[in-house]
Amino acid sequence: MSPRALYDDFIRTFGNVLFAVALFAVWGVLTLVGVVVEQGKDAAFYAATYPAPIARALLRLDFDNVYHSPWYVGIIGLILTSLAVCTFKRVIPARLPPLRPVRVEAIPLHATLHLRGTASEVRARIEAFFTRRGWQIRKRSFGGVEWTFADRHNWARRGVLVAHMGFVIIAAGTTLYWWKGFSGETVVLTGDAVRIPQTGAVLSLRSFRYVIQPTMTKSGLVYQPIDYVSSLVVTGKDGIPQPMTLRVNHPINIDGTYYYQSSYGFGVRFLVTHDGRPVPALSDQTLLEGQMLAIPGVQRSVEFAQFVPTIDRTTGRPSPDPRVNDPGVILEVFEGNQPLGAALVPMKTWIDLGDGWRIIPQAYRLFSGIQYRYDPGVPLVGIGAFVLLAGLVISFYFLPARLYVRVDDKADGTCTVGMAATTVKGYDIFDGAFRELVERLRAELDAQPPAPVLVPAEVTPT
Amino acid sequence: MTHALGLPALAMPPDEWLLIAALVAYAVAAIWLLLYFFSQDERHRRIGAPAAIVGCAAQFLQLGARYAETHIWPLLNLYGSLSLFSAMAVAIFIVFAYRYRVWFAGGFVVAIAAIFLAYGVTWNEGVMPPVPSLQSYWAKIHVPLVVSSYAAFLLSFVLSLLYLLKHYAEQRYRARSLQMAAAAPGAGGVALDLEETAASGASMQASAVLGEIRHDTPAIDAAAEAGDPIAGWLASLPSLATLDVLTYRAVAVGLPLLTLGIITGAMWAREAWGAYWQWDPKETAALFSWIIYASYMHLHTRNAWRGYRTAWVSVVGFVSIIFCYLGVNIWISGLHSYKV
Repeated sequence: MSPRALYDDFIRTFGNVLFAVALFAVWGVLTLVGVVVEQGKDAAFYAATYPAPIARALLRLDFDNVYHSPWYVGIIGLILTSLAVCTFKRVIPARLPPLRPVRVEAIPLHATLHLRGTASEVRARIEAFFTRRGWQIRKRSFGGVEWTFADRHNWARRGVLVAHMGFVIIAAGTTLYWWKGFSGETVVLTGDAVRIPQTGAVLSLRSFRYVIQPTMTKSGLVYQPIDYVSSLVVTGKDGIPQPMTLRVNHPINIDGTYYYQSSYGFGVRFLVTHDGRPVPALSDQTLLEGQMLAIPGVQRSVEFAQFVPTIDRTTGRPSPDPRVNDPGVILEVFEGNQPLGAALVPMKTWIDLGDGWRIIPQAYRLFSGIQYRYDPGVPLVGIGAFVLLAGLVISFYFLPARLYVRVDDKADGTCTVGMAATTVKGYDIFDGAFRELVERLRAELDAQPPAPVLVPAEVTPT
Repeated sequence: MTHALGLPALAMPPDEWLLIAALVAYAVAAIWLLLYFFSQDERHRRIGAPAAIVGCAAQFLQLGARYAETHIWPLLNLYGSLSLFSAMAVAIFIVFAYRYRVWFAGGFVVAIAAIFLAYGVTWNEGVMPPVPSLQSYWAKIHVPLVVSSYAAFLLSFVLSLLYLLKHYAEQRYRARSLQMAAAAPGAGGVALDLEETAASGASMQASAVLGEIRHDTPAIDAAAEAGDPIAGWLASLPSLATLDVLTYRAVAVGLPLLTLGIITGAMWAREAWGAYWQWDPKETAALFSWIIYASYMHLHTRNAWRGYRTAWVSVVGFVSIIFCYLGVNIWISGLHSYKV
């Protein structure tokens, strides 16, 4: 196949609306997969949730992380290619049609009027009629036949182009983030500081505060979180520490990177003893949920599984109250990789790990989870979104229509007006407006007397 | 007796009074507008239309009263957002009805809106302060936009169903007339006419020549002329072309609103969660719905697809909207799991 034929095939395929819709359908299905299948879990989760063949298929097809899979990125790439080809090879030529004669009666929206006067007079009156109503008039002669073309909202023919451009700008903004941007998440304990590797900014957490409001609903008591506040001291590129307050919905900007309040939790310091004596190497660190302590000399380890703010003393189980009243921790003990069991341990009490080892949760500290993101593509995405929306509004609410008018003289001093209408959205949508327009034209031109013919005045002597 | 019956009722807050008023008005409106749909009797419309307007006004007042009473934006849970959804569905329908004479669809729109409102009431857990991520001015922009888009899609859904009803009825009448023509000797002319009409397809639907009455359901019209009462009723409904254009107009309201809703949601997400797009199930389901309606708009530019095919796309689009709205909120956990 010659390169030219290959190119033509490519343009034909990617310029086909049905092909674009088929791509949309595949995109939709892949998107739906991401809604239905939980994303970003480990293989064990899928093995436990789905039958083995389905779990294997999900993992092999990258459906556990579908939005970053080659399929998804590939389909978006194909859609953007289709968008570009459609825009430049179909939309622009089709939306901006050249002025040319038509067979009036072959167009579904057409009308024929018989009016008094010569063709040039009637043509002038028709042009005046449409000009008064905001239609743009252009005249052309084809093979000695005069044609009048009236266009309304001609500029709106570019609406689809504008919408497609919006998409391209959004894609450019997103690409800019992938290329130049970064994001991450960090955890900082009260009284500690963290350094953000990409920016060098240092965040010190002076305090973290959360507000929980117990609310009685029709279904029972609900502990509703109201506020999460981090009091920080931030040192940016200028090296000057500045106190800042970070809340949900109120990110802070440090040297162009935004920081967000995303989560909070509790870190716990444990005292580990062996034969009644503290082991400082294991006792001076604060653990976060999910972290483990390996007991030296044995295969045993302890995981800090969960912080329990309030222990329900009547049941000995965690209370739903997330406020710190009577705290404890859930510890899970492992022998090698085998879990031996879990226990809820109140603060300052201990559990025996065997071989003379004991672990005592000593003190807790709040931590603040902070997300950060540098995204140089945001302005472009914002502009693209605005352009896309403008394109949609133009496309949906302004209907470009073209009227083809041909006026032919007849022998009896009258003329025939053939008029047809086309729009970019078919004929039905303009049907009522076309009828009304023709009726008004007929009424107005019928009501107007033909232009007076100037003849020399005849003077009669008295 | 007065004490037992009267005081508890009087003790109800104003928003609950208004809610009951809205539900009653919607029930009245739905019944009379459905009667209007079947009877085409203007008297039924004259009762149903004002009742729909009263119900819609009562609902907006109810949302306002709830806000005035609690000082908490009332759309932050499923109950509040479903209230706005039904109010906006009826409001958009009323605007369409006055602008495009679509009162015939009112019974279905109002009945569905009332069902959603009644379902929303079951999620009313009383007054709860919003969680930190919902404490944003974006809640006053994003939620009404998205819910209004859903409401517009409800209208397009009803209009599409009516299109499909008439389209498939036309097919049945056409098949029946062909059978009769084949069975009756000398009746080939009629059958031939109908075959020609069928062959002309989409272009026939658009063939409105000035001064002629549009007939895009010739089999129904012929049966109506022959005295078939169901065909007579079907013929009195707007033409297929009109229903298609009305559906398009409703989607043309919903899609920009959904687009704007997704954009404002992304802006809010960027403030609250640090990224304008996180592939949260709600975001993704909204994108899925957007894709379907974008496909609708693309297909609607094609003569061969405009009509029953795009009507089906509109129906599927609304199913996806319901999945996005209720399915994701209720069954799938994510950043948007704001049930109560």
